[in-house]
Amino acid sequence: MPQSVPVELIPGIQAAATAAIDGATSVADLRLAEARFLGKNGEITGLMKQMGAVAKEDRPAFGAAVNEAKAAITARYEARLAVLTKAEMSARLEADKIDVTMPGRPVRAGTMHILEQTTRKIKRVLAGLGFEYQEGPELEQFRYNFDALNYPPDHPAMDDQDTFFINDDLLLRTQCTALQGRIFKTRKPPLRVFTVGRTFRNEAVDRTHNHTFHQVDCFMIDEHVSMAHLKGTLGAFAQAMFGGDVKVRFRPDFFPFVEPGVDYAISSPKLFGGKWVELGGAGLIHPNILEQHGIDTRRYSGFAFGLGVERIPMMATGVDDLRLFMENDSRFLNQFRREIL
Amino acid sequence: MKFAVSMLRDHVDTRLTADEIGDLLTMAGFELEGIEEVDGDPVLDIKVVSNRGDGLSVVGLTREILAKDPESRPTDLYVRATRRFEDVSLAGENPATITIDSSHCNRFALMAVSNIQNGEASPTIRRRLEQAGMRSISLLVDLTNYVMLELGQPLHAFDVDKLGNAVVVRQAREAEKLVTLNGIENELQSNQLVIASPDRAVGVAGVMGGLDTEVSASTTHALIESAHFLNTSVRKTRKQLGLNTEASYRFERSVDPDGVTAALRRFAELLLEHQPEAVISTILDDYPRPPKEIEIDLDLERANRLLGLQIPAASAVRYLTSLGFRVAGHGDPFLIVPPSWRTDIRREEDLVEELGRVHGYELIPDLLPEGQTVPGGVNGAFYLLDRITDRLLALGYHQALSHSLRGVHALDAVGERVGPRNPGSPDTAFLRNSLIPGLSDAAQRNGSKDQFWFEIGKVFSPNEGRSVAILASGALLPPGVNEKAETPADFYAVKAAVEDVLAAIGIATDFQSTDEDARLHPFRQAKIGDYGVIGEIHPSLAADLGLADRTIVAEVNLESLLQQDSPELKVKSFSRHPAVRRDVAVLVNQSVPFAELETAIRTAAGPVLERLWVFDDFRGPGIPEDSHSVGIGMIFRKPDSTFTDEEANQVRDEIAAALQSVGATLR
Repeated sequence: MPQSVPVELIPGIQAAATAAIDGATSVADLRLAEARFLGKNGEITGLMKQMGAVAKEDRPAFGAAVNEAKAAITARYEARLAVLTKAEMSARLEADKIDVTMPGRPVRAGTMHILEQTTRKIKRVLAGLGFEYQEGPELEQFRYNFDALNYPPDHPAMDDQDTFFINDDLLLRTQCTALQGRIFKTRKPPLRVFTVGRTFRNEAVDRTHNHTFHQVDCFMIDEHVSMAHLKGTLGAFAQAMFGGDVKVRFRPDFFPFVEPGVDYAISSPKLFGGKWVELGGAGLIHPNILEQHGIDTRRYSGFAFGLGVERIPMMATGVDDLRLFMENDSRFLNQFRREIL
Repeated sequence: MKFAVSMLRDHVDTRLTADEIGDLLTMAGFELEGIEEVDGDPVLDIKVVSNRGDGLSVVGLTREILAKDPESRPTDLYVRATRRFEDVSLAGENPATITIDSSHCNRFALMAVSNIQNGEASPTIRRRLEQAGMRSISLLVDLTNYVMLELGQPLHAFDVDKLGNAVVVRQAREAEKLVTLNGIENELQSNQLVIASPDRAVGVAGVMGGLDTEVSASTTHALIESAHFLNTSVRKTRKQLGLNTEASYRFERSVDPDGVTAALRRFAELLLEHQPEAVISTILDDYPRPPKEIEIDLDLERANRLLGLQIPAASAVRYLTSLGFRVAGHGDPFLIVPPSWRTDIRREEDLVEELGRVHGYELIPDLLPEGQTVPGGVNGAFYLLDRITDRLLALGYHQALSHSLRGVHALDAVGERVGPRNPGSPDTAFLRNSLIPGLSDAAQRNGSKDQFWFEIGKVFSPNEGRSVAILASGALLPPGVNEKAETPADFYAVKAAVEDVLAAIGIATDFQSTDEDARLHPFRQAKIGDYGVIGEIHPSLAADLGLADRTIVAEVNLESLLQQDSPELKVKSFSRHPAVRRDVAVLVNQSVPFAELETAIRTAAGPVLERLWVFDDFRGPGIPEDSHSVGIGMIFRKPDSTFTDEEANQVRDEIAAALQSVGATLR
């Protein structure tokens, strides 16, 4: 039986390989075809293994013919692979199409209380102006809340602040200014300190009054501190808090712990309809207070200012009921997911 | 202080409109609270701060206008008032006697009026009183009130036929009775000052007269009292008796002691205008305790430095003089004597304010502080508290802020507590001794189901300290697209939050089973170290409170933790070799706490155990009744080489042996 000469097999194999490659409709099919012809046990590889059956003088020509066929098949395969890969990727992408308007998958994101947001902003601004944050107790001694703040004994000024008394010595602080005596007792000038905290007044609760609210108190003592420094600091504070070109207005007012004492208002053409909005009380720290703590009033002077924390979001967002701030109603709190300041 | 602008115009000749007067007074420190038109006349309502009693009179406010507005001119009436109405001459005999028997009375004066008919005051005076919010009563009473409105000095008219002529000022006797003008019988105390006849009290000094010596329509003889009482004494008495009057309001805020007789002379003048036939006596005046005049040095340069202004000396002198201060010297320093009605002026800084407010605070420039800076910022424990807040927000909890003052609540902590002695309402009866009641209220207010809250704040037990509390109930996540099962919050969800928060401030936690806290499920609660508690709210309490059945809470007292120095964080080198995972599944009696299994595993594995977790905890079919099946996953890694399969199996076998020694059987 005449054995077929290997070289004669090449065209047939090549034709079969071309048909298989061209006929493959998926990358998977194509890889099968590749294995059948070009793989370790493939038909082209099999031809090479028949080299021994070829007459010695024919071997170079045979080798060259096989390699030529292999190169042609490989090229065809790679071209086809590129086409099929691309087609399959586009089919997959198409199949992946989603509706981007479907709702996002739920997360549980915590919400920062609006008063905390406000407090954080106050802290950033005053820390930026070089003031140091400190706190005093809510359950305060009578002497820090009143005596140390230069309240004359049994003076009507105390009537402005209806007080919750625990006993004759202890009360719920009516003003965060109570921190001042505590700081002066242990520290020496220069000082730049502020605090934010709860204050308490024993009064009837309605839209504009609550028995508990929050206050900022800020003070500094150094050589040559003046009302002009107070005005400048308040301007810088208000500008950082509210933005815009803020002006500060002083009006005389009376607080036992400052002399001169003023209330201050701010205005800006772009804010609050250009009107003056009263923010709080301020002044130069009363020399009686400084002297109580051995601070030389010929050398040192200081300023202090205070304001209500709730007032800031009320002004910024139009909240008109003070009670909402401490009722923990998510219908209210959830409206502050966006930073307001 | 309400008054008609027409009354003010009796004292000052000014082009200013009512609105402008209101603005001027506001910028002088007497805030305009409102203007209304009454009987065709604008009426100003002015807020007078508590140290400026001199502003509670038309003359006092006129003084402010004249100081701030150089174009306004005083009228003759104002000039006569500043001269204490010395031009009114009185000649009649005064039959009265005065005995002052208390140091609470600084001055007491009486003037007798007779041959009068106590009819009506003029329409102008009656209208102006009504405009000021006072009721017109009779000629004598209306004139006392009118003079008070004008000059700030309260007066009182007694019917001589009912009082007699011997007047005593003394402390009340303990439990002495007096029916005051308002018809109320007061029981007096010995610290209260009274006006008396020799046999009985007839008026509470500086507060209110007595009913039975009141002038009436038939009164023909009267004694008019003008006095000066110690302001703290009037204030105490007013508070004790609960009698707030125009007179007590002024005395508390201090009245001009030198104006006592001037007011009587002005009264005499007005009475004669109404009833020319009236006979008016001289003034009997006992002034045992005149105030000491004080002299204050004013260094104008220092004043200007404190104000940030440049007020020239001539202006400074003019401002102070027009306010009634006596100015001597030529600066360096000026010697200033405050007028008798300015008891609020004690030292140089008080003068600084006078100069500043008259000159105009609007002229103060804006400057930022200079000088030595100090390290500012939010540091130490305050920073840690902010970080804890940030962690809890990141863990998906909503921040609550609840009242420190509150009523009793079923979730209050056990133990001593404090509250105000004057709470006003049951809602402010106590200071909270736990943050959990506030979170419970928050959960309930928002529907109880699917609630995740935290609060950081002060608790009082009874000492003040900082605490953080967490509350969780319901689905950990809201349902999403194609998600079916919602994992509910449980003890372990909150435990993880507590661990995360405390880890952030460098505290390693330790949970010990307990049943001590009656607020919590007896078999689902733990102590956290010696500073906290965690557990499911007792189902019966949850039902009572309207909370979801499985509501988990935790509270940690931060006060001691914030003071601790947390151990220094040292970064370790880490292995770059691959890890291997091995699992074990055991059957174990439910009475064996997982902590024992964990300890056994950690001890047996040593440092190669990188991580351990529970992937399965099953009790039910196929498992003995009192046991559960626990599947534990473990990651092993060596610092210097790769684990081979054989090595990993060997470690796992050692772990299995260790687990058996604590009573677990391998599955």
